[in-house]
Amino acid sequence: MDYNHIIALLDRYWEGETTLEEEALLRRFFSESHPDMPEPLQEAAPLFGFFREEMEKEQALEELLPEPKIPVETSPAKVVPLSPFRHWMKYAAVLLMAVGMGYAMKQHQRQEIKVHIAEIQQQKEEEETRMAYLETKKALQLLAKNLNKGTEKMQKLAYFNEATGLITGAN
Amino acid sequence: MSLDLFLNQVVPVRQKLFRFAYRLLGNEEDAQDITQDALMKVWSQQEKMPELQNMEAWCMRITRNLALDKIKSRKYRLADELDRAGEVPSAQHSPHTMAEKNDVMVKVRRIIHELPEKYRTIIQLRDMDGYSYQEIADILELDMNDVKVNLHRARKAVREKLQNIQVYGL
Repeated sequence: MDYNHIIALLDRYWEGETTLEEEALLRRFFSESHPDMPEPLQEAAPLFGFFREEMEKEQALEELLPEPKIPVETSPAKVVPLSPFRHWMKYAAVLLMAVGMGYAMKQHQRQEIKVHIAEIQQQKEEEETRMAYLETKKALQLLAKNLNKGTEKMQKLAYFNEATGLITGAN
Repeated sequence: MSLDLFLNQVVPVRQKLFRFAYRLLGNEEDAQDITQDALMKVWSQQEKMPELQNMEAWCMRITRNLALDKIKSRKYRLADELDRAGEVPSAQHSPHTMAEKNDVMVKVRRIIHELPEKYRTIIQLRDMDGYSYQEIADILELDMNDVKVNLHRARKAVREKLQNIQVYGL
């Protein structure tokens, strides 16, 4: 076999001047058995042998590679036109809240008026009580005054009785 | 981006994403997680899709960034490659030849993994996955000339070490 062509190719390979096709040719050459391989080629044989072995090993591992997890395609969201009455419960809830608040306010106002009336009535009652007290006091004062007048008269009468007693006793 | 587009253009490259993540992390389960995360991130950034020229390179870039973030954030300990070196027995060779071959493979693996991350990734993307210079530039967000220069340097470094193995058995 003419090895000169391969030797020339290998020289260009070491210089980094070979094409992909030429490198494939070298790989093919070194994958075959050549008992009478000349020395310049022998130094490269282990390197190409290493490449071949690594590729065989990687191919064996690739076969065990699990199926990839494919990302799920996210389709654009479909726009669904909504009826204005679709969320009727929302509107009903708002309405109910408004009615409730109105009712509560009205109740509050009523309560306030009741309290006010009750206060006025209480004031009126107090006034009446005070007036009655004053009237009673006045009447009692008048009575006391008259009673005092009576007491004076009775005292004078007592003097008379006493004097009468004394005169009658002396006789 | 519709789901159909995602299923037709992104999901089919998940094996490549997994392979890329596996090389960076050295761990199958983490590579699976990163692959799934990368798919989700691509989906979440679907508005960028119309601006992209190479979607596969974009997915690879996202995967790389996620894997590197994981390595940084968790002080990720790369699996010891040497432990896994003897996994590929060949029935065609004698035990002695097999042991010798495995020994060489261990050394080559060490050489590749001792390369700086950028060199290693470029060499793997080119020599194992067969990406063009432009595609590698898109994945790594580099200039195409930088890719060529880095690939040349990476191969040169590998060659020197391979020669040491051959001459000195190192």
